[in-house]
Amino acid sequence: MPMTPARPQPRTPVHGGRSSGESEARISRGARVRGRITGTGDLVIEGQVEGDVNVRGDLTIAEGATVTSPSVGAGAVTIAGTLEGNVAATGPVRLGPSARVRGDLQGTAVAIDDGARFAGRLDCEFELPPELGGASQGESRGRASARR
Amino acid sequence: MASTIIGAGITIEGEISTDEDVVVAGTVRGKLTAKEAVTIEHGATVEADVQGGSLVVGGSLTGNVTASERVDLQSGSRVIGNVKAARVTIADGAQFKGNVDMDV
Amino acid sequence: MASNVTVIGKSTRVRGRVHGPGDIEVQGLVDGEVSVTGDVTLALHGMVGAGIKGRKLVIRGAVKGDLVADEAILLEDGARVVGDLRAPRVAIGVGALVRGYVETGEEGSSSARARTQTAARAAPVAATHAPERPHTPARAPAPAQAKVAAPPARAQASGATNSGPRRPPPPVVPVLKGAKGQIAKKKER
Repeated sequence: MPMTPARPQPRTPVHGGRSSGESEARISRGARVRGRITGTGDLVIEGQVEGDVNVRGDLTIAEGATVTSPSVGAGAVTIAGTLEGNVAATGPVRLGPSARVRGDLQGTAVAIDDGARFAGRLDCEFELPPELGGASQGESRGRASARR
Repeated sequence: MASTIIGAGITIEGEISTDEDVVVAGTVRGKLTAKEAVTIEHGATVEADVQGGSLVVGGSLTGNVTASERVDLQSGSRVIGNVKAARVTIADGAQFKGNVDMDV
Repeated sequence: MASNVTVIGKSTRVRGRVHGPGDIEVQGLVDGEVSVTGDVTLALHGMVGAGIKGRKLVIRGAVKGDLVADEAILLEDGARVVGDLRAPRVAIGVGALVRGYVETGEEGSSSARARTQTAARAAPVAATHAPERPHTPARAPAPAQAKVAAPPARAQASGATNSGPRRPPPPVVPVLKGAKGQIAKKKER
């Protein structure tokens, strides 16, 4: 018998309080959520989530957790588990050594630890020095490198 | 002053310009413009016009050479091109073909 | 004199390609491709205006071009890269800035090299893993819900995940393992 998840309503509001993490919301290891998650505080995902995730606080995807999402939005994002989906963070994004991520990452800073597995785009805002052409208008040779 | 070293086996195709000393042990094709000492080691291949403060050649150089101070072609070197410098020495065993201009 | 260490000094500018065996350290500017068999170190104020290829790349400076390594790419604080990164291991330290596509794992660098040499060789790699968007993989089922808004190529590669509401979707992990994990486990570290 397939394990039917205890399915909550499609939208799962998560009220985790302030993003200082004092009241943190947690989706525990055995839990499975399918649907949209929104919230004002921090969120720790240790289980499985399928759907949009959008919290104003910090998001942690723990080791062993799996998130499949078209869009993940949060303050700071720390990933030690598996994520398939794009991240738009207002803070830094960090992938730990056990992270497995496929999707685009956007944040104030992006760090990927040695050992992490990643496939996707990084889009940091910065300019190259003038000797290399200065402001490179967000270009990258994603497919151009295939020509090499 | 720091040096630029072009290791053996490395090939640079293009133009090199520097304010530092340069040691070429590999291959340079194009142009080399330096302000200080240029050393072309035994075994190196330079197919370029070379400009420098001083130039010591132990390897193979095809191109015109201009040095503000001196050019020394060592034994075993092979140079084809014109050399222009205040002082020029060509050692016994050096192979040289070109003009020498010491009216700097 | 060290035979296989090349140092492009701080005040040196090279306009052209640099290639060959051995290691290279770039402290100045190379406006052209750097392609060596050994390690490449780009110092903090160093700059490379085209791609860099090597065994291990340690980048602390600025690059406008793709980075491809046989072993690892390490971007440290101060690095600024506009271009793609492909290597079995990629580490991006805090403070390093990147704008481009990043791919870790064997397929990353091997498929990049295959494209450099023959397009044909990349096909089997692309079919399993489909890293490139143009290589729209034909075989994976198109998940109707399309929950993953990421480019179809990526969703396809883990198409098994979205199998419909009838049964809980299998976790993403096994798919990643199939594509990369197993291979990586054999060869990596």
